[in-house]
Amino acid sequence: MLVVVSTPVPFPDGIFRALLDRIIPEDDFPGATGAGVENYIVRQLLGDCAHEKEEISRGLFSLEAEANARTGSCFTDLTPDDQDALLRELEAGRSSINWSPTLPAAQFFTRVIDLAHEGFYADPGNGGNRDGVSWRMIGYDPHLPEKPTASPPALEPRHRRGGHLLPPSG
Amino acid sequence: MSGDHYDVIVVGAGLGGGIVAGVLAEAGRRVLLLERGRHLSFDEIAPDHLRNHRLSLYGDNTTVDPSSQTRVFVDATGSEHLVHPHEAGFNHNAFTTGGGARVWGMQAWRFHPDDFRMASRYGVPTGSSLADWPIRYDELAPYYERAEHEVGVAGDHAGDRHAPRARPFPLPPVPQSPTGAWLARGAHALGWKTFTPPLAVNTQPYLGRRACIQCGQCIGFACSADAKNGSHNTLLPRAIATGLCTLVTQAQVARVTTDRDGRIDGVEYYAPRRDPDGNPGSPRYEHHTARAAVVVVASGAIETARLLLLSSSAAHPHGLGNHSGHLGRHVQGHYYPVAYGLLPRGFENPNRGPGVSIATTYFNHGNADVIGGAMLANDFVKLPIIFWRSSLPPDVPRWGLANKRAMRDLYLRGIDLRGPVQEIPSPDARVTLDPRVRDPFGLPIARLSGTTHPETIRTADFIRLRAEDWLRASGAERIWSWPAERKFSAGQHQAGTCRMSEDPRDGVTDPFGRVHGHENLFVCDGALHVTNGGFNPGLTIMALAFRTAERIARTAF
Repeated sequence: MLVVVSTPVPFPDGIFRALLDRIIPEDDFPGATGAGVENYIVRQLLGDCAHEKEEISRGLFSLEAEANARTGSCFTDLTPDDQDALLRELEAGRSSINWSPTLPAAQFFTRVIDLAHEGFYADPGNGGNRDGVSWRMIGYDPHLPEKPTASPPALEPRHRRGGHLLPPSG
Repeated sequence: MSGDHYDVIVVGAGLGGGIVAGVLAEAGRRVLLLERGRHLSFDEIAPDHLRNHRLSLYGDNTTVDPSSQTRVFVDATGSEHLVHPHEAGFNHNAFTTGGGARVWGMQAWRFHPDDFRMASRYGVPTGSSLADWPIRYDELAPYYERAEHEVGVAGDHAGDRHAPRARPFPLPPVPQSPTGAWLARGAHALGWKTFTPPLAVNTQPYLGRRACIQCGQCIGFACSADAKNGSHNTLLPRAIATGLCTLVTQAQVARVTTDRDGRIDGVEYYAPRRDPDGNPGSPRYEHHTARAAVVVVASGAIETARLLLLSSSAAHPHGLGNHSGHLGRHVQGHYYPVAYGLLPRGFENPNRGPGVSIATTYFNHGNADVIGGAMLANDFVKLPIIFWRSSLPPDVPRWGLANKRAMRDLYLRGIDLRGPVQEIPSPDARVTLDPRVRDPFGLPIARLSGTTHPETIRTADFIRLRAEDWLRASGAERIWSWPAERKFSAGQHQAGTCRMSEDPRDGVTDPFGRVHGHENLFVCDGALHVTNGGFNPGLTIMALAFRTAERIARTAF
């Protein structure tokens, strides 16, 4: 069940994906993993959010321990309704096991909620929101041409008089 | 390199500095223009919805080498934070040619005549440093007009009459939307007058550039049609075209220098060594000195104050222009109260930029029991992730199908009204030099501390409730908002740190932006603003820049 993604920190990939798909479930539009949200988050945990990688990973293991302590089952084996019920408990700050004091259950969950929606609603260039699927769902269109039609002028003198001129973007 | 001699050195190629450089180069003066950022192409300013100047969760899309840029932010509890450009405490404005206007929302307002005489009109609240400007609206009006025409502003000449105007806008107003018409009916029912707000955007081709294509990611980003107007595509290319203006990008100015007699004679700065083959890579910086008859500091209210503080000497131990103790004080930006609501079913926002299409100046002055006020307008086209973070009704769950369906049902129905509240300045809202932390050049970094005056909060809450009234009268299905809290306020509208004054005891510069006690040192950005108006400040910065540049051209040589 535990899959190690390409990070030195063990990362429970199955729990991670199951959690993301409860945060943004599939309906007639894809849910989180259907839109590639996990790609966005892994990219962040290897980049801008590298300092959060261990805490997030530890939180996922705690989520699994929480499921075991409460139900005797793995988180991924619970029904979606039971997964949601467990997450609502954590959201309310009620946990059955000891979570990291630096990232308690409710804060862990809030952080993953934020990351998931960033991946789902930001531009596809960030790694999630595959093919702009969330934008089609809500009716947003950046209306951008494929290439810019213009850029500010390169800064060139009409007549070179005295002084040296440096490259505009140097 | 040392000993380069110019007529004028301008520090900062933003709205103010770009205009000063253009006017003086066209007047035949040799100008050295030093800019901390780069002259970025459209492609270099990423269309990244998480790293831009509207939402900078993990970075922004203009700052070159952000890890080298830090400030110390002291929060309301007194805790110190070392902050980077994309973090809220940094109070960032874009570091690039054009400055903030490269990525701005383009609202190009004239201040109200009473914005120049706040103390006379309202009195001075205890603990505040509220004061009148040393100039009146009428003195600035011709320069507002010049900025509107030479940079390019689209507006509604018949409707926008909060300040007397002699000449129509050079460009027709942005198109009205069904949302704007809906809001106009609501305002009419309340007896409030509305009009299309002025924006520095090419609503049709102008000055050799194209018209706006109404894309969906306007504010916070560069314009793919180059229809977003500022100094970067007007006065700055004009300056360079003369052949008299040398632009050095990625330059960090270390100090304004004085000669043995205490007269300003130039600057010391660091700039990357140019690779003769043009190879990219991490630049190695070299120290330079340059001399000039006149120095103009136009680095934004925070960095301008920092540079004048960094330029202390035996003759000026507290920084240049700081004999009165005003340098770096009275920091202001704008409190921005927002009222949110939902358009009735069947109405949808057009999801096209720029998005701001209706405004009222009904509450800028004359409000019972509060000081000043604000212009109110609808918002810019909104990125989906920003809508998710800030604009869903507060009772929508933050996750699960209910959240997803709310995004799907409400994204195009979200409506919010907001306004830049004229802040009541506090002398304790300050830019100082941090005593411990230095930048990679060894220069002490800016330290930001203090909060606004409590009267600002009262005005902000008054304006927030008027925004709610407007939504209610228009027929919004739900309305919600959040009360203001006291905080340090500067940000993209940063102002006030070098306030103008007639009497040298009352401010840092004279009414032309000339630093008191120095005949050849000028400030040319929002730092000059004694108060910051109940409007976006960009056009006022530009108007003052035209006026200061004209003054320098006429008197300094």
